[in-house]
Amino acid sequence: MQTTIKGLRFWCYTLAGSASLALLPMTNTLAADDTRVNGYVENATYGREGVGLSKFRNTLQMEMEKSAGSVGFFNNVRFNATLRGSYDGVYDLNDDEYGRNAGGPVQLQDVGSGYVPHGGGIAPTPFLGFDTTRNPNEGMVVLGEHLHGQDNGVAFGVPVRPCDEDDRGCIDGYLDKDTNELRFQEFNDRADFVRELYADFDINFDNGNILSTRLGKQQVIWGRTDLFRVLDVINPVDYSRNNIYDELEDIRIPMWILRTDYRMGPTEVFDGLAFDDLNFQVVWNFDKFRPHDIGQCGQPNVILDAGCFFRGMNNLWENGGTVANFAGATPDGGLATDFGPGQIGIREAHMPSWSLANTQLGMKLEGVYGDLGFSLNALTYRSQLPSLRGGIPAQNGFTGQTGVWPSLIAFDIHFPRVNLVGGSVDYYSQGIDTVFRVETAYTSGEEFANTLRDKLYSESDVLRYVIGADKNIAIPFLNEDNSFLFSGQIFGEHILDHEREQRTYGEAGIPNYEHNWTATLLVQGFYMNGRLTPKIITAHDFRAQATAIAPSVDWLVNDNFKLTLGGNFKVGDGAREFDDCRSCNPWDPFTQTPGVINHLPGESAGLSGYEPLGRFQSGPIGMAQKEDEIQLTARYSF
Amino acid sequence: MKTNLQKSVFNGLLVGLTAGIFSASTYASDEVINASFHPYNDEIPGYEGLSVGMTIDQSNVAQFKEIIDPAFLTFIENGWTSMNVGETTSFDLHPAYVEATRDSLGEVTLGEQVGEIIGWKAGRPFPQSPDPDDARAGEKLAWNYKYGYNWGDSAAIYPFYWKYRDMDSGKVERTIKFNFHFLNYKGRVIQEPTPAITPNPSDLFRAIYVQVLDPADVRNTQLLIHRAADDLKRDNSWLYLGFQRRVRRLATGQVTDAFLGSDLMIEDFEGYNGRISDMNWTYKSTRYMLMPFYNHNEMNLDTETHQDDDGYQVIAFNGQGGCFPDITWQLRKVYEVESVPVDDSHPLSKRVHYMDAQTFTIPRTVSYDRKGSMWKTFTIGQAHPDLHLPKNKGTGVSIDDSFSMIDVQASHCTTGQFKGQVDPELSRPQMFNVQHMRATGS
Repeated sequence: MQTTIKGLRFWCYTLAGSASLALLPMTNTLAADDTRVNGYVENATYGREGVGLSKFRNTLQMEMEKSAGSVGFFNNVRFNATLRGSYDGVYDLNDDEYGRNAGGPVQLQDVGSGYVPHGGGIAPTPFLGFDTTRNPNEGMVVLGEHLHGQDNGVAFGVPVRPCDEDDRGCIDGYLDKDTNELRFQEFNDRADFVRELYADFDINFDNGNILSTRLGKQQVIWGRTDLFRVLDVINPVDYSRNNIYDELEDIRIPMWILRTDYRMGPTEVFDGLAFDDLNFQVVWNFDKFRPHDIGQCGQPNVILDAGCFFRGMNNLWENGGTVANFAGATPDGGLATDFGPGQIGIREAHMPSWSLANTQLGMKLEGVYGDLGFSLNALTYRSQLPSLRGGIPAQNGFTGQTGVWPSLIAFDIHFPRVNLVGGSVDYYSQGIDTVFRVETAYTSGEEFANTLRDKLYSESDVLRYVIGADKNIAIPFLNEDNSFLFSGQIFGEHILDHEREQRTYGEAGIPNYEHNWTATLLVQGFYMNGRLTPKIITAHDFRAQATAIAPSVDWLVNDNFKLTLGGNFKVGDGAREFDDCRSCNPWDPFTQTPGVINHLPGESAGLSGYEPLGRFQSGPIGMAQKEDEIQLTARYSF
Repeated sequence: MKTNLQKSVFNGLLVGLTAGIFSASTYASDEVINASFHPYNDEIPGYEGLSVGMTIDQSNVAQFKEIIDPAFLTFIENGWTSMNVGETTSFDLHPAYVEATRDSLGEVTLGEQVGEIIGWKAGRPFPQSPDPDDARAGEKLAWNYKYGYNWGDSAAIYPFYWKYRDMDSGKVERTIKFNFHFLNYKGRVIQEPTPAITPNPSDLFRAIYVQVLDPADVRNTQLLIHRAADDLKRDNSWLYLGFQRRVRRLATGQVTDAFLGSDLMIEDFEGYNGRISDMNWTYKSTRYMLMPFYNHNEMNLDTETHQDDDGYQVIAFNGQGGCFPDITWQLRKVYEVESVPVDDSHPLSKRVHYMDAQTFTIPRTVSYDRKGSMWKTFTIGQAHPDLHLPKNKGTGVSIDDSFSMIDVQASHCTTGQFKGQVDPELSRPQMFNVQHMRATGS
């Protein structure tokens, strides 16, 4: 049973207001040692191949800090606020790609006619078919069209305009941004313009130990690795900003959190076991749940293109629609089919409401033992990635009967509870002058698409780890004065309850690879006394055979002004195919797949296409294969 | 009776002899201590033509080339700077440090390997004058520096301004504002607890903690260095990157790279910030040289860079590109010591240190690149504690007060302006652990 505290938002804003009042006096005392006000204005202009302008974001960020010293029982009291607001002009300047004029009519592949327009598929029963006045063939793209052709696989139209322009496929409370929420990303009902707002305070004990607390809207960072989020999972992430490529500092979504550290410093646990530093941390994320922002279809950055799949699927559920190559599908294609509302698609997203049971709790023991830095971590949290659970009541397109049909592609979105245990170490090897970092996490409760199961998902324990190494290497012919930083990482992911079976037309099961690895390499140089820093980041997904290459140069013109010119290029295989569940036979016997002997209800025959599950094989790099960009950012700090 | 008389005579002789030996020993001990810590008690050094208040510049520098190090001589010859000569004054270190030296006099020896020392507890380990015939004399001087009373038991440079300057144009390319904190875990003689901070599981000798306050792109970068008491053990270093909010362990290679793009590497801090065992040390000579020792309150001060409620202002800079501290120089007793990196891949071929014989600070260092060409030259201005901040008076610490690291090949420099404070409250032991970096990072 969940206990809802409806006044949570009130209390959060009360705290925010109190802290703001505490910070207010600093506006008159900017020069005082105990106060600090800084900020920056920034323009980020990105251009994407084949698309044109993909970002024209203008940001103002203000950071304010006030130290209050000792206040009563507490020491080292500090208040900190970070406010951020941005306007992305891409929705106005390139509105036929990303704004109110985006999209258009679509054509969907049909084995009989070649291509038919949205609304032009077959509807052999009175229950199939849909009203094209409610779901017209306009303002749409074909799912995945920027990456691949329909190639005899599943495809359907996806509305791409902001939700105030076109509310088709907008999922209430999850992916439903209107034009202003896209333009002004931080100004939403979660008050994201208050990026951080917290108070720090310590209690010093006589034995020298310190109970150090930070309360408020904040980021809590765990782990020792870059780019990958193995332990760094407390805050959700905004991937709509720049996919996986921005600094996590800029894209973590701050949450209202209580973080308390019991700092013991050098500690002798017993004779013979002494730590140079020991710290125990408790993290209570008491904020209302927020998932990752995976990007809404119609935004420039939609990680895995999942937002488009969800929007198209929700539109299918709400309004019905045409699905390419569906009826009677074989590897040679099928007939484009018009489904009615409430038959297939995504019905709704179950966003966890605020309740004590839905809050998230973590603990970390961290320290330094000799030359080894270590942490042990445990966290119970809600998955920030959505899980699609089938098994919802839906209408049979042939009989009109409403019921739960095995392996029917009709879903609700859930965010399951996940439990994580893990740890990290770092170690400096004198012999090879290299720092090694290892981070690992074992989770239970994560859910994966699985076409072998009636509800089309299953739970699996997952082991993830990153092994990283940092080394400075002198390359005198490139730079006589400064060595180059080489930082390499291998990220491994192992789905321990992985299921996969060979069926008539291909493999069915969990589309994600059972074992996969991604490698990253950062090479960074320093010129002009560190004011010119070229770097190149590469990432390679081994199983997806997808590589991202991101070269950039930072130029600090002076202490205040920085220019960054960069690019982001992808090479590799791009789209990949997997069982798309057209051959799942939910409405037996009407949906039996030609060529399959004794096709049982709800049993996939493994018929494959790019959509929708191939995205899990392509990964975030492969799915962005066609999103090569040139990026220029100018930032003035004050 | 006879026997008793003989006994008495014998006993008398024994007592007298013992007393004589003891007295001679005490006298020898005092002589060593006085020579080491009070070299200017009996005689103020002088040099022909040199007088207090004069300025050494392009026109007269040739006359004084024996008392100026070769790098600075070139700078004056080029007309880049001049030297104002001040009175030679005694920078007496704290009596407790002197007493600690006396207490362990003769009990400290070197081990077999470079980097091994036996019997040191506190104070200056080798106060005796360096013996040119002693092959390890340079190493002993290096130990005197390492276990010196450089910043006392703890201190902070709070704040500390670094300016990156183009030496040709004089343009200040970058200004970085830091806080630096130093803490000795062992050999403590004044601040409680003495003689050591416990618990000290890793058997640390010293720790340095650095926090960047400005500008925005590096704000909240923090550096923590743990130096083990065992000199053969490498430092552990961590860097907190404000823009990542993560603590990263540093490889040693990173301590010989430019620190935050400055002309200093971490190993340059304070004159030399590494292990004794990382270098081969050679004592070259004892000389009298002009060294940057002065009274802060009597110098020209920079009215713009720093203002605070104490009314404290930092040392001004002038000369070519603004790379030279506007200070006075004293004729002082100096040990010239050469250090050659053990590691062939080290970016330097050697450093030549000019150690001040009284304080064992390293106010002048000249560094040479791997080809043997002069690369960088480091000046650390030393201020008398009694004519600095009121809180520093009587601390017996020679205050690092200004620095200039000039890259003569790149015609570039980094200058440093200090507010050095000998105040244990600013450098509490809790600050010198990794978790403090995380807690401080916002």
